[in-house]
Amino acid sequence: MDVFIQIIATGATLGAMYALASVGLALIWGTLGMFNMAHGLFMTIGAYGSYSAVAYLGLPVYIGLPAGFVVGGLTGCITHLLIVKFMVGTRNFGTNIMVATAGVAIVLEDLILKGFGAYPFRQPVSLTGGFRVGNVVVTYQSLVIVAVAAALIAMTAFLLLKTKLGRAIRATAMNLDAARLMGVRTERTYLQVLAIAGALAGAAGVLISSLATLSPQMGGDPMLKAFVICVVAGLGHVGGTGLAAVSLGLIEAAVQYFLGVRFGFPVMLGLVILFLVWRPNGLFGKKVVVRL
Amino acid sequence: MSDRKEPRGTVPTNRRNFLKAAGAGVGSAAVLAGLNGSATAASGEPIPIGCPAPLTGIVAADGIEFRRGLELAAEEINELGGILGRPVELHFVDTESKGDDVVIQAAQRLVDRQNVHALITGYNLETGTALFDVVADASIIAMHANTVAIHDETVKSEPDRLWGTFQIDPPEIFYGVGFLDFVKDIEAKGQFERPNNKIAIITGPGTYSVNIANAMRDNAANYGLEVSLYETVKVPISEWGPTLAKLRADPPAIIAVTHFYPQDQAQFMLQFANDPTNSLVYMQYGASLAAFRDVAGEATEGVVYATVIGALQDEIGKAFSKKYIARYGANSSPNSGGQTYQALHSYAVAAALAGGSGAPYEEEQNKAVANRLKNLIYRGPMGTYRCVPDTLSAYCYPSQTNDPSLGMPHIFSQVQDHKSDGVLIAPVPYDVASFKTPGWMKS
Repeated sequence: MDVFIQIIATGATLGAMYALASVGLALIWGTLGMFNMAHGLFMTIGAYGSYSAVAYLGLPVYIGLPAGFVVGGLTGCITHLLIVKFMVGTRNFGTNIMVATAGVAIVLEDLILKGFGAYPFRQPVSLTGGFRVGNVVVTYQSLVIVAVAAALIAMTAFLLLKTKLGRAIRATAMNLDAARLMGVRTERTYLQVLAIAGALAGAAGVLISSLATLSPQMGGDPMLKAFVICVVAGLGHVGGTGLAAVSLGLIEAAVQYFLGVRFGFPVMLGLVILFLVWRPNGLFGKKVVVRL
Repeated sequence: MSDRKEPRGTVPTNRRNFLKAAGAGVGSAAVLAGLNGSATAASGEPIPIGCPAPLTGIVAADGIEFRRGLELAAEEINELGGILGRPVELHFVDTESKGDDVVIQAAQRLVDRQNVHALITGYNLETGTALFDVVADASIIAMHANTVAIHDETVKSEPDRLWGTFQIDPPEIFYGVGFLDFVKDIEAKGQFERPNNKIAIITGPGTYSVNIANAMRDNAANYGLEVSLYETVKVPISEWGPTLAKLRADPPAIIAVTHFYPQDQAQFMLQFANDPTNSLVYMQYGASLAAFRDVAGEATEGVVYATVIGALQDEIGKAFSKKYIARYGANSSPNSGGQTYQALHSYAVAAALAGGSGAPYEEEQNKAVANRLKNLIYRGPMGTYRCVPDTLSAYCYPSQTNDPSLGMPHIFSQVQDHKSDGVLIAPVPYDVASFKTPGWMKS
């Protein structure tokens, strides 16, 4: 029983972080058909934004998470206004935007390196201690990670499914021309999508760095996993992405316990390959990209 | 007053500069100052020294210190008049905490573009053989602290070609048994009583960590220990839940973490502290960095760590650490920066004794420097560098020599206050405190 609880605790923590990291990526893909190579850097910037708010500006720790959220969102907006806006709808957009956002990632990483150096700072926005479930200690930080991720993903789902903004995003994702004909200001929708994805990535960065440390490269590994999760879910499927993230987090934790820690990610990748042989378009994907 | 003209680009040698530079150890500074004082340099052209180091990436906490150590040493050497009147000029290339391919490119770039006379670094995340070909082809000197046995084996396999690459500390093979000897020693002194005979070993995938872990595993039985867990983790790792669950299910007397990234070790301690087992916790090297204490805070108190190249806490070591921390701040790590600091100082003395350094492809002159390094006994803040002639690695005290003045000490330290560096608890005569039972074991 203790083993089961431990796997659930670890798997849920990993899954929650993966989910938050993946949902923004899926949202951008689903709406713009754009693979955002700078998504990992959005996470990094969110983490450093949070750190700066607390460590440099002296704001209370509980402001740290919203600060990361806001900084991530602003980064998404700036990326749209300076780059995406001028490329969307152009020929070979899908390929060109990957190269452009990869460039953005390199520039942002260098800027963080110049500004903060490479020292592995501790994320001040974190809790210590835990509580017992059976003989297993579940940390407060894990609980916060799961709760925050669940709340943010639920808010995103609500936003997409129940609000005017969400309808505009879904309409744009389904058919750009039809959405425009129906009066949707698609350019503003793109900006809003980048802002939401950036904010979610920023929050993910804060949570991830609370279990690791801050470094200019910290977004690389989560982005790789987020991409894998998006592929499993079916690129562009936001709901499926969250489910796939939690499932893969639990599988990874179970493999780490029963087979050994070093087998966690390789087994996860092996399962993904097998899965994609069975369903090449992912768990929820169809041949024609279905969004949301 | 001397009427000797100072060469262009150098700083005059005088008593004030000499004393300012005494952080390297007054004796060695005196040697260099003496050699410089009698020198008549043909030119004051700077001597370019290259450093391929992990300035970014997962082990940047070390790379930053390697850079600082070199800068401090270069400053001191130049205040003493450089190397026979020629100032040292540093060039850095970031190896991004990546492997052989990036390290080789970085080293080659330093040779081709900067014409460096020597490559001096701490360690890189390479196999331990990346520098050999670049250095041999250019006939220059390299000094590194990769701390790997493959260095020794490679040098022994081609001694006529690989005469220029030096490992400034002993290889990692001494860590495993050295740790078991340390445990035996504190047990004999009554400072530690094992609650059972189990040892859990946690390693990363790299050769360095695995070799240390294997040595512990293979020799544990000789010390009455049974390996209850041998876990290899993927790195970097931040979520230690599954590993800690195994440890808590079968608590060992000793937990030895040979995976050495300081931030990963810090996360281990933060998560371990939530529900600690009655175990002595040993961490390989990474815990010697300030970043480890900075990240994990109070959770680090009680951790034992070891290194074969760390700042001693004697007169020379403390003077260096004080100077280093005053210069770079409380979060800086003399244990790490001292590696390149000591290496550059010893190189400067060897080059001065050899009549100067050699540019790339000046094989004869660089062989003269290599011969001086091979025969040098250099006492710096990290201990005594003396080279094993056929491997070009440093001797290890007490594993290879029982004379502490003739080998780099394999030092054990314990974090007893997370706000300051760990205290050195072994070996004699460098120890300044005794092992203390960690707080989590008392409870």
